[in-house]
Amino acid sequence: MSYVLRTLRKKQEVDSIIRDTIDTVLVLRFGRASDPICLQLDDILSKSEREVSKFATVALVDIDSEDVQVYVKYFDITLIPSTVFFFNAHHMKMDSGSADHTKWVGTFLRKQDFIDVLEAIYRGAMKGKLIVSCPLPPQQIPKFQLLYKDV
Amino acid sequence: MADQNRSNKPSRKPNSQTKMKKNEEYEFCAVCKLNHNQGRRHNYFPNHVKSLSAFLARFQSKLADVRFFLKNPSLLRPEHASRNRLWCAFCGSDIDGLGSTFACGNAITHLASADHLKNLKGFLWKYGGGMDHVDSFRVSEVDLARWEKKCKLLKTDGASDGFRGVVIGPVNDIQLNSENIDTFDKNNIQSLNSSFSNGVVEPLQIYTNERYQVSHEIFRVQELGPLRQDADSYLHVGTQLDKNACSSNYFTGLHNLTQISSIVCGDATGNVHSGAPPPWLDSSEGKQVDVKRSPFNKSRKCSKLNPKRVGAAWAERRKVELEMEKRGALATNFDANWLPNFGRVWQSGSRKESMKEFEVETKKSSKVETQCEMPMQLQPYVSKKM
Repeated sequence: MSYVLRTLRKKQEVDSIIRDTIDTVLVLRFGRASDPICLQLDDILSKSEREVSKFATVALVDIDSEDVQVYVKYFDITLIPSTVFFFNAHHMKMDSGSADHTKWVGTFLRKQDFIDVLEAIYRGAMKGKLIVSCPLPPQQIPKFQLLYKDV
Repeated sequence: MADQNRSNKPSRKPNSQTKMKKNEEYEFCAVCKLNHNQGRRHNYFPNHVKSLSAFLARFQSKLADVRFFLKNPSLLRPEHASRNRLWCAFCGSDIDGLGSTFACGNAITHLASADHLKNLKGFLWKYGGGMDHVDSFRVSEVDLARWEKKCKLLKTDGASDGFRGVVIGPVNDIQLNSENIDTFDKNNIQSLNSSFSNGVVEPLQIYTNERYQVSHEIFRVQELGPLRQDADSYLHVGTQLDKNACSSNYFTGLHNLTQISSIVCGDATGNVHSGAPPPWLDSSEGKQVDVKRSPFNKSRKCSKLNPKRVGAAWAERRKVELEMEKRGALATNFDANWLPNFGRVWQSGSRKESMKEFEVETKKSSKVETQCEMPMQLQPYVSKKM
């Protein structure tokens, strides 16, 4: 999917995209191109990237790259794919009923789900909210177990 | 006493509230506009009483106009006909000003009708209005008779005023005109076609000595009786109507109509019949475009982003920086250790704390020596502006 979506491999690239995306939601997918679930998520992202282009930017971050490990640790990424949302260089949280509100873990069931989530984040950000609630019903949210400090 | 208790009909309302009351069916109170199952008791509730008095007062004020015209009937002008609508709250029907010769004529006849009285009484009984108010919401026969007499007087008075020169009008005008023209020596009206409805054109047969009234805007056709007119000249006038001159003459013969000499001027620029383009398209094209543009400007201004949105201050600053970078003025002062604002999962406190935590962790991990922790050095406060 790298021919459609930008893949970032350096911290400086990530920094610049975070700083340069102004007044639109930035979607950073942390994952590996070879992982099947990542592939599915990438497929959805690439299909909807153009449609949401007016209010969102999508980029992929390769977690296998050395430079990006700072972010992997900073964002507490333990499961892939993990998608982090930013708005004006501020991190947007979403309460999707799971334990981790800081990122979206896993893929989306369908393209519309992704767009709905993105819209919810954009609306919340425009109103000044740093955390929004997820518009999707629980059966459409992927479940995962969050490990606390390797426990 | 025991007999009384036994003979208590189940439909009778209980006196005390502690008794189990039979569930009444829900009914709609049109005054309070709500559904309730309190049955007849509802009418005595203070809220209902308040709503009812407000409701009746409102209707009374609407009837004030009607009452005024009852005392002083005046002729209904066509332009006011559309303002004459009244909603009768008791009958639940609209009364409009069509077909009435006098102001509020329809309303007055409605308020005097037997049906209205019946509905009014029913309403007041149902909602507990007090039957002594009946007369204030209707027109009594005496009043109606008085009003009708006054109307007749008006009609006959109006005949001597002469033709008012209102060319376009609903049926009532035609009726009036017929009376007026009757008094003219010259004119002799045979019949009046009263099958008019608003805006419906019924082309009637043209007789050589009959007239037509053509309105380009409303397209009503009126047939009046034969008049001493030259049909040709009249028709010529009729077809030469300027679109601007809605009050231009139709009857050149009648001396009480004003003749507009625009017929002569109109030929040069052309008109609808000659196929010329309308003036608003030619001259005011610039104005049209401006009109189109200004709403765009407005919409652009209104789409200014919410200043309370997330990271608004940062975004503004960043935009300025980018502008300057574009111009090449500002060198990128890019910190390799810059981290975005991020709230961690197990975060307590503000997001800056998570950043600090992270930095502490990275420092710890990068320390090769296992030293005991140095006490934190006090540093002057430097705010981390994003």
